[in-house]
Amino acid sequence: MYETFEHTADIGIRVRAADLNGLFEDAARGLFAVLVANPEAIRPVQELSFRIEAQRLDDLLHDWLAELLFAFDTRRVLLGEFRVGVSGDRVEATARGEPIDPQRHQLDMEVKAITYHGLKVERDGDGWLAEVIVDL
Amino acid sequence: MTKQGYHGPLEKIDDFCWRIPKDFKPGMRVEGRIFADERLLALVRNDQSPEQVANVAFLPGIQMASLAMPDIHWGYGFCIGGVCATDPAEGGVVSPGGVGYDINCGVRLLRTHLRVEEVEGRLTQLVESLFRRIPAGVGIGGPYLFDPKRLRRILAEGSGYLQTQGLATDGDVEHTEEQGCLPGADPDQVSQKAFQRGADQCGTLGSGNHFLEVQVVEEVLDEQAANVMGLQEGGICVMIHSGSRGLGYQVCDDALRDLRNVPAQYGIQLPDRQLACAPVESREGQAYLGAMRAAANYAWANRQLLMVQTREAFAEFFGRSWESLGMSLVYDVAHNIAKLEEHVIDGQTKTVCVHRKGATRAFPAGHPDVPARYRPIGQPVIIPGDMGRASWVLVGRPASMERSFGTTCHGAGRLMSRTAAIADAKGRRIDRELAQQGIVARARSWKGLAEEQPGAYKDVSLVVEVVHRAGLAGKVARLRPLGVIKG
Repeated sequence: MYETFEHTADIGIRVRAADLNGLFEDAARGLFAVLVANPEAIRPVQELSFRIEAQRLDDLLHDWLAELLFAFDTRRVLLGEFRVGVSGDRVEATARGEPIDPQRHQLDMEVKAITYHGLKVERDGDGWLAEVIVDL
Repeated sequence: MTKQGYHGPLEKIDDFCWRIPKDFKPGMRVEGRIFADERLLALVRNDQSPEQVANVAFLPGIQMASLAMPDIHWGYGFCIGGVCATDPAEGGVVSPGGVGYDINCGVRLLRTHLRVEEVEGRLTQLVESLFRRIPAGVGIGGPYLFDPKRLRRILAEGSGYLQTQGLATDGDVEHTEEQGCLPGADPDQVSQKAFQRGADQCGTLGSGNHFLEVQVVEEVLDEQAANVMGLQEGGICVMIHSGSRGLGYQVCDDALRDLRNVPAQYGIQLPDRQLACAPVESREGQAYLGAMRAAANYAWANRQLLMVQTREAFAEFFGRSWESLGMSLVYDVAHNIAKLEEHVIDGQTKTVCVHRKGATRAFPAGHPDVPARYRPIGQPVIIPGDMGRASWVLVGRPASMERSFGTTCHGAGRLMSRTAAIADAKGRRIDRELAQQGIVARARSWKGLAEEQPGAYKDVSLVVEVVHRAGLAGKVARLRPLGVIKG
């Protein structure tokens, strides 16, 4: 589950999930929900794989989202379905989506970068909480 | 993550400058100074940006004071409007947060021979023709594609490369800060990823607060300076605000990743992780500077190509060459950048690394880095306002060299978060409200207009008043928007 929250000139994504895999998947959904107003219109036609390594869990989240943003910006794809495996210092994931179609996809805000401000990935009761702010 | 105000000290130095004392936070090497007046001070206290000014004061090698301009607002590590200078000879550092993700975000102003009467009746069509031609918006590439070899040349040479391709005139290059090329750019320090993002984005506007505006010179306040710049009341101008696009964002992101554990290795303690830095004279510092300069050069090439497309649009629309329309470049300034510059500090001339994050260079009359045409009057400073209000042209003044490392403000500064601006705009047609003021606006997305609605920004005229009265830069002319295109 994700929601966006207000942050001065930019926007924050807050995610809650039962486990880390779900957390990273929902964070990805949250990112694409910022990029496009109607993420439900993204069709799972093509698949991309990702493999990311970082020492800290919060940096791992940062780098995962940064890779997705990079794929969006260079391959001009929107991604809607995610399967993530988080273990130790590694993320292995697949994502499904389709090329951007200006007729169907309501492209919204340009996300310049995933920032480190208030970046957190932490246990929250029985589950997990993550917060990340993206630079618009 | 609730929004909190600043409740720390702000001691009046004079009517336009306020101090955060060095003892506010243990670890501050110098005091903080914020340029503002009583009116803007309340807004200054609205967010944590003064705390950020205090945090920057921790940086090794920082000289004189950690500064902020009156358009100060919260940013990553450094506040927007933040300025500092570090001395490499004292272990001074360079910090990507002191430049920003959008390296060399900046603005250029073109003048024209056209008068407002010639344009008013056809404004909507003119704006729409610009909207069709200028690539803008999220996920939009442009018509200029550069293979890696040519992209390397852009990174190394900036506007100079475009000049060799017949895409920039001598006048264009001469009237761009640094002549559109920072020396010491190192394309080898720019990652493959950044190259990929930059491949088709040179000559595109972007989104967010980037824009292209058709404006009229509404009031000239310094006739002599305005004449030198070719600006007259009633004259039509075009202002272009954009930066280094995805290439620059990637360079910053790469640098922040590379610097993750670096400050500790140099024994640098930081109150905020986002002030990640390295000594200028270190491998990491030089790597970032090399990459940052390359990205800055890309941004100048970007604004040059946006201007080329603007000239083409005008030429097609008016059926005359852009030269016959008098569409010459007044000046182009960077407002997110770090540069090695000579400044006199405590009576000594030092070469320092000046960080300007949402702040503009404002060198005074006589300074050798000011182009010959402007040396008698001072360096032109272009200050974009918001859509519904004014933009300004200023010139650098001598006090900037004493007080702010030759720096002034960059724009209006956000008041409202984007979400608040959008919520505030709900149910409103911002384009119609602007139309009622005679402003034609075209944006790729509704949110693009709503989040940039005039209410979201401080009044730029108040910001400019402060820098004018503080002697950092002097008012030359106020410009009024007539038409704006946004991503």
